[in-house]
Amino acid sequence: MEYIIEVEGFKKHFRTVMTQRKVEAVKDVSFKVKPGEIFGFLGPNGAGKTTTMKAMMGLIRPTGGTIRILGGSPGQYAVMSRVGFLPEQPYFYDYLKPQELLHTFGRIFSIPRSVREKRIDELLRVVGLEDARNKTLRKFSKGMLQRIGIAQALINDPELIVLDEPLSGLDPIGRKEVIDLLASLKSQGKTVFFSSHILSDIERLCDRVVIIDKGFVKAEGTLEQLLGSGSGEKEILVGGLKDVASVELLAGVKSVEVVGSLVHRLVVENAQADEVLMSLLRAGLHIVSVSDQRISLESLFISQSGGGPAMEATI
Amino acid sequence: MSGSFGGSFNRIGAIAINTFTEASRNRAFIGLGIAAIALVVSSMAISGLAVSDQRARVLVDFGLFAVSLLLVVISITMGVILVFKEVDRKTFYVVLTKPIRRAEVLAGKLLGLLSVLVVTLFLMGLAWVLVLVIRDVALPADLFKALILTWLQAALVTSLALLFSTFASPILSGVFTFGVFIVGTMIPVLQDLLTLRKGPLAASPAMRFLAEGTIKVVPDMTVFNVSKELILGIPVTWHYVSGAFFYCLGWSALFFALAVLIFSRRDFN
Ligand SMILES: Nc1ncnc2c1ncn2[C@@H]1O[C@H](COP(=O)(O)OP(=O)(O)O)[C@@H](O)[C@H]1O
Ligand SMILES: [Mg+2]
Repeated sequence: MEYIIEVEGFKKHFRTVMTQRKVEAVKDVSFKVKPGEIFGFLGPNGAGKTTTMKAMMGLIRPTGGTIRILGGSPGQYAVMSRVGFLPEQPYFYDYLKPQELLHTFGRIFSIPRSVREKRIDELLRVVGLEDARNKTLRKFSKGMLQRIGIAQALINDPELIVLDEPLSGLDPIGRKEVIDLLASLKSQGKTVFFSSHILSDIERLCDRVVIIDKGFVKAEGTLEQLLGSGSGEKEILVGGLKDVASVELLAGVKSVEVVGSLVHRLVVENAQADEVLMSLLRAGLHIVSVSDQRISLESLFISQSGGGPAMEATI
Repeated sequence: MSGSFGGSFNRIGAIAINTFTEASRNRAFIGLGIAAIALVVSSMAISGLAVSDQRARVLVDFGLFAVSLLLVVISITMGVILVFKEVDRKTFYVVLTKPIRRAEVLAGKLLGLLSVLVVTLFLMGLAWVLVLVIRDVALPADLFKALILTWLQAALVTSLALLFSTFASPILSGVFTFGVFIVGTMIPVLQDLLTLRKGPLAASPAMRFLAEGTIKVVPDMTVFNVSKELILGIPVTWHYVSGAFFYCLGWSALFFALAVLIFSRRDFN
């Protein structure tokens, strides 16, 4: 199988309940996901990500276009037994405990009880809910619901994991943990497809991304293709800088800005980077990091969608 | 594939157990159950004040009436929110994206609720029997069969509520289901009116047509009501109960099939 997911010309129209007005939620979306990739499905709120993912999972029928997933159609038994899905802002049964919920889903997959018990213990540990075993789900916070949502998506050890906004509702530590989890799923050979309207902490994770806005694809490709391999500039983070004006005068320094209470961010042309670094060291300053300056996905997204801070950088 | 009977059994069982567990821990539902039992007891306490030679008759008659009506009300209330709640709170997103047929999901929900009704009926029946014993009324011989028939009636009503709730709001579904139930208790009256040479149905062909249609599409709920037999001491045979069982099964299967047809085609936004 060459592609795990093939979406071709997908289109979905809704009618609003009250006025029966036609809403074109998704107008024309196509992309292909290869086995073993972490694929980012990006775009601002209302772009049509959730709608597309629901159609991929067989929850809604396309108005037009075709969707192939794991070589079959969305919703098919043989397909869904190899998929794990985390919906946007998942919600579960109020009066169940997390392990009871996982048992319910384990039974649907006909996983034998002894195997189920083991896997549930393991999953609760992986998502960090071991201490929540005696809590009913109605007492779960948003972040905990997100975690049990990820656990239930993994109950069948799926080949393909589809997650709608997996980082929303999580605190910074939780986000880091989920990012690490997604990376470890990839290292187990699984394909990970996830959506996000937040770019900052996921862009490094993705092998490839597709960016959609207002129901259309705006860009698709590897990060390399979209961002270029570099801009010919380096970014230097430096601590303890007081005399900003004199640094700005050094040859090759293009900009200096404050990024933290004690840290400045310098953008320097590659050719002069060594000399600038030497001067900074001679002045007794602390070099925090040096890296290739790349366009961030965020700035790319803003240029693609015609300006404006359409995507939020943080929650 | 999925087709294996064992797999299907597991899946329906998983949903049924889940539905039963959720309901039995739901405070709102437990409250409803306690209120129903209290209502059975208190209504009988009041009706029991009747003249002494009528007392046994009233306690049996009214008790069965209260138990079966309350069970129908509980069936409708829970039946109409059964699917709605899962759609509304989006819990179905994680269920329907598992390898499970939508028919299996509906079957599991229905079975789970029917088990809840068994427990509810058992508790209400127990309350009724206790009142009879305390009031020194001889227990009717076929009391147990009467309760089974009551459950069959509730099962039929539940499948109808399930059908409505696959496409209508809970309130509308509740009104529709209760409406059909009420009409269903009047089927014999309609049949009588149709045989009369006089009366409202004799005068107007349109009304006659309507009544004949109603008799065909609405299940006869009086099949499940044996309060007269209990009071008069007429035996209720197992043969009769099994007839009522198949009557219930036939209608429920029809309602369930229609519900699956609608549910399998719908979008989950
Ligand atoms: N059931 C629906 N009825 C009408 N409009 C809808 C429905 N679902 C989504 N939409 C609209 O479709 C657009 C895309 O929504 P969605 O797929 O949820 O976007 P995203 O997940 O990218 O934020 C939005 O404008 C939204 O308001
Ligand atoms: Mg969304």
